[in-house]
Amino acid sequence: MNLFQAVTSALDNSLAKDPTAVIFGEDVAFGGVFRCTVGLRDKYGKDRVFNTPLCEQGIVGFGIGIAVTGATAIAEIQFADYIFPAFDQIVNEAAKYRYRSGDLFNCGSLTIRSPWGCVGHGALYHSQSPEAFFAHCPGIKVVVPRSPFQAKGLLLSCIEDKNPCIFFEPKILYRAAVEQVPIEPYNIPLSQAEVIQEGSDVTLVAWGTQVHVIREVASMAQEKLGVSCEVIDLRTILPWDVDTVCKSVVKTGRLLVSHEAPLTGGFASEISSTVQEECFLNLEAPISRVCGYDTPFPHIFEPFYIPDKWKCYDALRKMINY
Amino acid sequence: MLAAAVSRMLSDITPKPATSRVLVASCDYSNDATFEIKKCDLYRLEDGPPVTAMLTREDGLKYYRMMQTIRRMELKADQLYKQKFIRGFCHLCDGQEACYVGLEAGINPSDHIITSYRAHGFCYTRGLSVRSILAELTGRRSGCAKGKGGSMHMYTKNFYGGNGIVGAQVPLGAGIALACKYKENKEVCLTIYGDGAANQGQISEAYNMAAVWNLPCIFICENNRYGMGTSVERAAASTEYYKRGNFLPGLKVDGMDVLCVREATKFAADYCRSGKGPILMELQTYRYHGHSMSDPGVSYRTREEIQNVRSKSDPIMLLRDKMVNNKLASVEELKGIDVEVRQSIDEAAQFATTDPEPSLEDLGQHIYSSNPPFEIRGVNQCIKFKSVS
Repeated sequence: MNLFQAVTSALDNSLAKDPTAVIFGEDVAFGGVFRCTVGLRDKYGKDRVFNTPLCEQGIVGFGIGIAVTGATAIAEIQFADYIFPAFDQIVNEAAKYRYRSGDLFNCGSLTIRSPWGCVGHGALYHSQSPEAFFAHCPGIKVVVPRSPFQAKGLLLSCIEDKNPCIFFEPKILYRAAVEQVPIEPYNIPLSQAEVIQEGSDVTLVAWGTQVHVIREVASMAQEKLGVSCEVIDLRTILPWDVDTVCKSVVKTGRLLVSHEAPLTGGFASEISSTVQEECFLNLEAPISRVCGYDTPFPHIFEPFYIPDKWKCYDALRKMINY
Repeated sequence: MLAAAVSRMLSDITPKPATSRVLVASCDYSNDATFEIKKCDLYRLEDGPPVTAMLTREDGLKYYRMMQTIRRMELKADQLYKQKFIRGFCHLCDGQEACYVGLEAGINPSDHIITSYRAHGFCYTRGLSVRSILAELTGRRSGCAKGKGGSMHMYTKNFYGGNGIVGAQVPLGAGIALACKYKENKEVCLTIYGDGAANQGQISEAYNMAAVWNLPCIFICENNRYGMGTSVERAAASTEYYKRGNFLPGLKVDGMDVLCVREATKFAADYCRSGKGPILMELQTYRYHGHSMSDPGVSYRTREEIQNVRSKSDPIMLLRDKMVNNKLASVEELKGIDVEVRQSIDEAAQFATTDPEPSLEDLGQHIYSSNPPFEIRGVNQCIKFKSVS
């Protein structure tokens, strides 16, 4: 299955298992602009898979309402770039519901899915990676998968998790990434990073599409520099798996974090800060962050903007030779 | 009579250069004609725009040329996109030409316009050359936004874009109207959005602010019946968009007839300029292409429907028929304009595909306004970008 088929499969499992689950968003009824909901309306009925008008704030607010009554709400925001009208609802309502009601009410059965990340021709408003904005908000969970197998397991975990979750799907991988994915439901635990490749000299951390970039950088480093890299997919951005990353840095002494979002205030800064607190004496070199520039996501300059394998490789080399 | 016979003979025999034909045939045309136009439905208004419109030959030719230019430009953009010269997102507006030309005809160049991402038509009517529009689409440095904006972000004097986020331009339009009121310059702001955007919360916020502060803002809903792939009946509880302003007066206008749009715009502009406050116009129009280039446009509507509109209500055809039937122009003359327009678009496309791309330093430019320029933080230490204004 490819990524969008894995998402469809996860949604199919959810709707089958949970009679209160509903899917809604812009254009989801015919299958969605990325085909993630194809066939679900025919299978489960128009009461459970339905379109909303063009109103993100309304979609999320509506989703919170459904979730508060106990039904499972799976909302789709058509592109992560459009999530900002809903930012208030997510941060001020969804994230704080349990806290402010002293656990009387919660909207834990809300999951928001949204295509995320650069896609080659997205320009300013179809390429953003806003995970850092949400990482600053206690009360929600933020998850980014790297592949179809991961996506299905993580999405099912998000839907079943008793906290409001935001699930960002790397849109460039929707068709490009293909893997064997089981048809039956399965879960991948949240807040657990995965060590994809073990190594001893440098730790590389990324999430989503960027994991594939650093994997390639790891093999380049092995081949050209004889450097053994430990590659970690963070998977859950909030709350993130501090232990796995720190354990790895204690072993290797060097850390490189990479993401497409702009450098200043990007999630790499949080990882960097925490790691230097926990593993200061183990660090052999300053932590390297290979991220997008501090500019709006450009249209024509995209190949220069993104942290590609050469930029990562260059930073890695500097760290080795520090 | 004799002159007419001579001209007919000449034009039948050989294709003559345009000038000589016009010289011989000009006495055959009327200077102007008056047409009956569709009456606009009114909401909270006693009187509406007139039901007749006068069109001079000069204006008619101008509107025809402008609409044909927009049509050809959009079709050229379609071609360039398929050839991968234009990448990213491209939202074409062919079918809606009467809206753009009619709106511009009803206001002054000193008035202001702000619209959504389906903006190429306005870019042209507001004064940008086809060259600079196509160069912006292909991402070259001679583009109107220096190649950095692309299809959705083109700007020029008194035209504030071109906005990617749906509905976000409407509160901005109300703000521009406030500036007009504050400066007491009798200018108005046309704030345009689509039928899909009409369901956004911020539109209601803008209506309220404009009404409370009596702003000279004309809210215009460009209703082309489909918000991307969703028909208006499925998205809106009320499809009477001209009434959705609730406490704002509204007009429903036939957006396929350039004269209807012009008269309604003049009416609305006078209304605002006289200090009566904001007003809402719904333009009923249609787009032939899908929502964007990645949408074939036929999965949510039938080809018959599109063909039907094309054959019965195409704005260019309607104007041509009006002009020819009322002796404001001849078929040959209009065909001559078609040929000229086609040529100029081809030249512009040639330019747009050969102009160089913006330089790499532009990646870091114009983020902030700062003096002295500061460095942009990023990942590659070999390239330091400076943000300059």
